[in-house]
Parts: sequence; structure tokens; C-alpha cells
Amino acid sequence: MAAPVVETHELGKTYGQHHVLRDLDLRLLPGRAIFIVGANGAGKSTLLRILAGLSAPTAGRALIFGLDSRRLGPRYRRRIGMLAHQSYLYPNLTARENLEFCAELYAISDPRGSAARWLERVGLERFAERRVRALSRGMEQRLAAARAMIADPGLLLLDEPFASLDSEAVQIIMSLIREAVARGASLVASAHVVPEVQDLEFEVFDLARATLTRRPPTRDSADAGRIARLRSLLGR
Amino acid sequence: MAAFAAILRKDLRLELRSGESTVALLAISLLILVVMVFALDASRARGAESAAGALWVALVFSGMLGATRALLAERDNNCIRGLLLSPIEPSTLYAAKLAAAFIFMAIAEIGSVILMVLFFNLNFDITLIRLAPILALGTLGFAALATLLAAISNRTRMGDLLLPILAVPIFVPALIAGVKASASALGGTPESAIAEWLKILIAFDVLFVTAGYLLFEYVVRED
Repeated sequence: MAAPVVETHELGKTYGQHHVLRDLDLRLLPGRAIFIVGANGAGKSTLLRILAGLSAPTAGRALIFGLDSRRLGPRYRRRIGMLAHQSYLYPNLTARENLEFCAELYAISDPRGSAARWLERVGLERFAERRVRALSRGMEQRLAAARAMIADPGLLLLDEPFASLDSEAVQIIMSLIREAVARGASLVASAHVVPEVQDLEFEVFDLARATLTRRPPTRDSADAGRIARLRSLLGR
Repeated sequence: MAAFAAILRKDLRLELRSGESTVALLAISLLILVVMVFALDASRARGAESAAGALWVALVFSGMLGATRALLAERDNNCIRGLLLSPIEPSTLYAAKLAAAFIFMAIAEIGSVILMVLFFNLNFDITLIRLAPILALGTLGFAALATLLAAISNRTRMGDLLLPILAVPIFVPALIAGVKASASALGGTPESAIAEWLKILIAFDVLFVTAGYLLFEYVVRED
């Protein structure tokens, strides 16, 4: 059995006296996807930041690729792609320059070519020379998704990836997620409500009152999983 | 090394595009030198010591601005998290930010030296070349200290106030050495007299470049 990509043991996070996360146990295998569903302030972003190694838990621990999340070296961080509320894009650089810079940080050969390919994949090739501050919210989110996935990460952490987006942007990001999971990446994403991602099998966890509860699989999500597996077997 | 070059190139590109830091640094240096010329007694204001003092006051203030600006670029859209998430060592990030702050300060200092010569009625001659290593060492030390402290102050609500409160007292030994060495260089004192002060500047640089290199990871990380 493959080793889990994400494994948390009694994970907790408190700010002062306030418990944001309490005794979270989570296990995610390679190529699997989960959505964490919860209201604003439920702790979804905090959990994703901990899994990314950006924030330390105050109790328990999170293992990413088998390593403590606070001790992830460059080799492991390279395998994590994160799409957060804030885009991590420089407003005064163009779309192309932002992706090229990211490709250079991730030591991707041919950063220029890689940036051009990803701009095309997210439908922004016409806006390559436009500065990020002049892009719409949807365009910026698409570019941020390209930034998160440019190094083909093994673990995708997406914080409300479809929030405030038009249908075109939602479809593009969904398509990128499906492709990433199909090639074996694991996904942890957060949302306010369970998203309708076609052709993707995923589990749903509810995060409320600092605790995580696995939601029983619905017939729809089970069907979606079977369809996805069938399509991948048929080579689509 | 590639990541260091990429971050530095990105910072310089952002600066070339906006020009905010360099213009602000030059403006603050000009203001300080003008105030110093008027504040000092007319006869004393022509002395090498006054000129050196004024120059180093300008260096300290422009340095605080330069270091803050180099890290402020990462505040937009929380880009600092993007960098911390990327496969680079925090020490590489520190080195790139230090290099950017050093370059911004050095540009401002070239302008400040020209203004100092004009305002303090000095000559454009060989003494200015003797000033170069002193200023380079002082700039490196201050940039190293201010970059480390700016990373701390950027995370606090009182950040803009915190940086000068922390940076200036720590920089005092290097400031005294820098002013004395600069005054000696401008006054034509033999090299041997300057060398003693240069040793203090080198020691300060080694201390704070090393401290920044080792500690930057802990000051930029979130709780």
C-alpha cells in the first residue's frame, strides 16, 4: 500500500485561548482528493497553511510525504503547489514575468517556454504582457492556479479555488485539477459548499467547531468516481 | 545561486519599473544634507568631520527606507508566503534581499556623496576614492542589520516605528567607526589611522551578515 501523502495525528491549532483546530486526524493517499467544507472562519485556511508548512500546529503533528510539515526541505516543498486566497503574484510584474519567476524558483528548465505553455493552458496567452494589477479577479486566480501547478506538484493545496469566479475560470481550474489528480497528484481543497466537480472522485470532510468529520459518500460522488476511473481506463 | 539571481533580478526589475525606492532614498538624502548644512555653523559646516557626519546620517535614514522597501515588495498579495513555499532556502532569500537593499542604498549614496561635495564645499578628488571602501562596508553592515530587522518589523503593526528604534542603537558602533573613518579619509589622514576604524566596520559586517543568514528563517516564518 502506498505511503500517505498527508497524515495528521491529533493536529491542533490555537490562537490564544481560541481553538481553531482540535484533534484532527486525516490521511490522504497518492492520487486521492478531499474537499474540506466549512463556514468562514472555520479554520480551513489555517489547516491548509499547516499542511503547506507555512504555519506550525500547536498540538499534534502533520506529516507531508512522511516528513514533519515544519521540517520540509526544498526537495519536499518543490512537490507542494498552493493556491491561496491571496495570489502570491507580484502586481507590478506581467503575467509572463510572474510565471517565469516562479519557474526559475522551482528550477524548471526553460522557464520562458514553461511560462508560455501555462499561460496557454489557463487561457491567458493574450494577456501575457499585461501586469497582474490590471488583470480581473478571475484572470488573476487562473494565473495563480498556473503558478501553483507549474512544477507539477505531488500535493495540491487549494484554498477556495472557485470563490468569486466566473464559469469560464471555474471550468479551467476544474480541468487543471482533474488533470493533476489523473497524473497522480493528491488534492486537499477547501470550499464553503461541496463543489460540483465532474469526473473527479473525492471525499468530503466537514470542518466545524474546530473538528473534522468525514461526510458519508453520496451516490453522485461515488458515480463520479466510477466514471472517472472508467474514462481513465478508456484512455481519456 | 539561480534562485538568488532570480529574486534579485525580480527586485531590480520592480524597482526599475516604479523607481519608488531610489527616488525616495535620494530625496531623503538630499533633505538630510540640506538640513545639516543649515543646522551646522557656517565655518564648521565646511569641515571634513561635519561632512562625514552628515553623510552617515543620510546613510542611516536611506538605509532604513531601502531595507524596508526591499521587503515591502513581498507584502503585496502575500508574495512572501509564495517564496517561503518555494524550494529555496530562507538564507538565499535573505541574501537576495540584502543584495537588493545594498544596491538601492549604494545608488542613493552615490547621489549623497555628490551632494555632500557640493554642499560642504569639498573637492572632487582622490579623497572620494578613499571614502568608497568605508561607505561600502558601512552600507553592507547597515543593509544586513536593517534587512533582518525589517523582516521582524514587517510582521508587526508598529513595524515602521520599530525598525529605527531597533536598528539605530545597534548600528551605533559601526556608525562611530564609519564617521571617524570617513572624516579621516576626507581630511587626508594616513591610511593606517583609517585601518583601525575599518576593522570595526568589517567585524560589524561579518557579525550581522552571519546573524541574518542564520536567523532569517526564524523571523520570516509564521507562528
